[in-house]
Amino acid sequence: MRHLSDGTLRRIYDEPLALTSVDQAHYDSCAECKARFESIGNTARATAGLLSVPGFTPEPAAALRSVQVRIRREEAARPPRWYERWLGRTSPRWRPIATPAIAVLLAAALLTGVTATGAAQTLLRVFEPKTITPVQVSSSDFASTSALLDYGEVKWLPDAPTLHQLSDATAAAAESGLPVLMPASLPKGVSGPVSFGVVSHATGSLTFDAERLRASAAQKGVHVNPMPASINGSKLIVNAGPALVEAWGLSASTSETQMPTLVIGQTRVPTVDSTGATAAELEDYLLSQPGVPPDIAAQIKAIKDPSSTLPIPIPKGLATTEPVQVNGVPGLLIKSVLGAGVVWQSNGVIYAVGGQLTPDQVLAIATSLH
Amino acid sequence: MLQIEAWRPTVTRTPARAVNPLVPDPFERLFLEEYPKVVAIAYRVLGDRSAAEDVAQEVFIKFHRSLSPDSERAAGWLHSAAVHSALNVIRGERRRAQREIAHALDPAQTPAANPERLVEEAAVRQEVRQALRKLPQRTAALLMLRYSGLSYAEVATALGMKVGNVGTLLRRAEEALRKEVNRATPE
Repeated sequence: MRHLSDGTLRRIYDEPLALTSVDQAHYDSCAECKARFESIGNTARATAGLLSVPGFTPEPAAALRSVQVRIRREEAARPPRWYERWLGRTSPRWRPIATPAIAVLLAAALLTGVTATGAAQTLLRVFEPKTITPVQVSSSDFASTSALLDYGEVKWLPDAPTLHQLSDATAAAAESGLPVLMPASLPKGVSGPVSFGVVSHATGSLTFDAERLRASAAQKGVHVNPMPASINGSKLIVNAGPALVEAWGLSASTSETQMPTLVIGQTRVPTVDSTGATAAELEDYLLSQPGVPPDIAAQIKAIKDPSSTLPIPIPKGLATTEPVQVNGVPGLLIKSVLGAGVVWQSNGVIYAVGGQLTPDQVLAIATSLH
Repeated sequence: MLQIEAWRPTVTRTPARAVNPLVPDPFERLFLEEYPKVVAIAYRVLGDRSAAEDVAQEVFIKFHRSLSPDSERAAGWLHSAAVHSALNVIRGERRRAQREIAHALDPAQTPAANPERLVEEAAVRQEVRQALRKLPQRTAALLMLRYSGLSYAEVATALGMKVGNVGTLLRRAEEALRKEVNRATPE
């Protein structure tokens, strides 16, 4: 039988149980292998001596605290990711306009809770978008609307929506309950791994409170129209999400500000229910509040059926829109210098595709999603 | 009888109770499980506690930026990053000798030892480290991972090689180190 190799002999010096029974039988009866093993062992012992270091006891718990502090510091210092900037920009600055159609797009499964308690019969659906329309806005519209007014108590059930970033498609689909959509092919310039963002489903409520509004307006020194009795005390219940965003062109590095080359987003249609005030009453009152630019108020008032129309803000002068068809469903194509996007709704889900692409590329991707 | 004690690391391992299955955060769990190995690898290369802790923490911060703690590659990635980062440090390090001798003489580390002998040992380690710098990176990495206490399977995973080849390559690496040390310190 062949002698054992140097590698095998070296391994059994460290891991004696790794020797097979056949090798063990050979070793036991082979003086030459034993002599070689002795020599290999001597080298290993000499190496262990050369590489020895004084002992010390690591302290994992202290090291972990130190690493966590550094990670938190890095997270705080890094520029926000594109979707965080988008979310940050969307919520506070848009609140004045958001309040009407959204006091509408404001808050979301409280409804589930209400239904369970039998109170659902008294609810009036004030917003459930079925169509999409552009609303022209400009950044100056919001420059003077920093005074955010307190219209009443906001509650989330169970919690406010959160954004969770994932790198795995299966996990993203499982967490969002929405299928991961892929285009038939990717246009030139779009490549790399896909990152996923999942915004959790959430239910929130806003209970209008005339007294709180008056107090907050007084505190901020702004004039507000008194809240009508039909609105005071009524509750809006917002049901939103989940949403799933797929983005191409973002590297794992978090130190750079990046724009994705392609984004595919989908969210279940948000709904808003009211326990008293009607859609028309809410719209009239909220659009008359300070901070809502008159031309935006006019555009929203011009929407024939505000309770079933989702206004899409379009930056004035920077982008244009045109109606299109996406697989037989009406959609809105948005064109700008930086890229293009298309938004449509089908079977209770709002879809959006956009990126640093041409309108044709965006439409080709939108119609080929599977 | 087969010798199996010589390779054992002199770094005292944290007892297994530190690996707490009740730690809910996956990154924390991974950290508590792997930090002792990662710092042992860096310490074996650098011979300097504070530098080894710096390297180990840097490795975990880089890991946090790049990989999920649930990844199957996590442990191998950490071991590989630890040994390569530490080897990169000694390749650029000039003040290692002074730091190491100061460390050897730290009474908190070695209360009852003979100072002259400790300085000698630190000088030997410095020579060995110079020899290590001259070895190919993969050869040096293999030696340090194995002598930090990683199993053959762990070494194979960290360096992307077959476990059956570790013994052969380790044997060659030990010979290469011995030759390099002899060349540096001729009798």
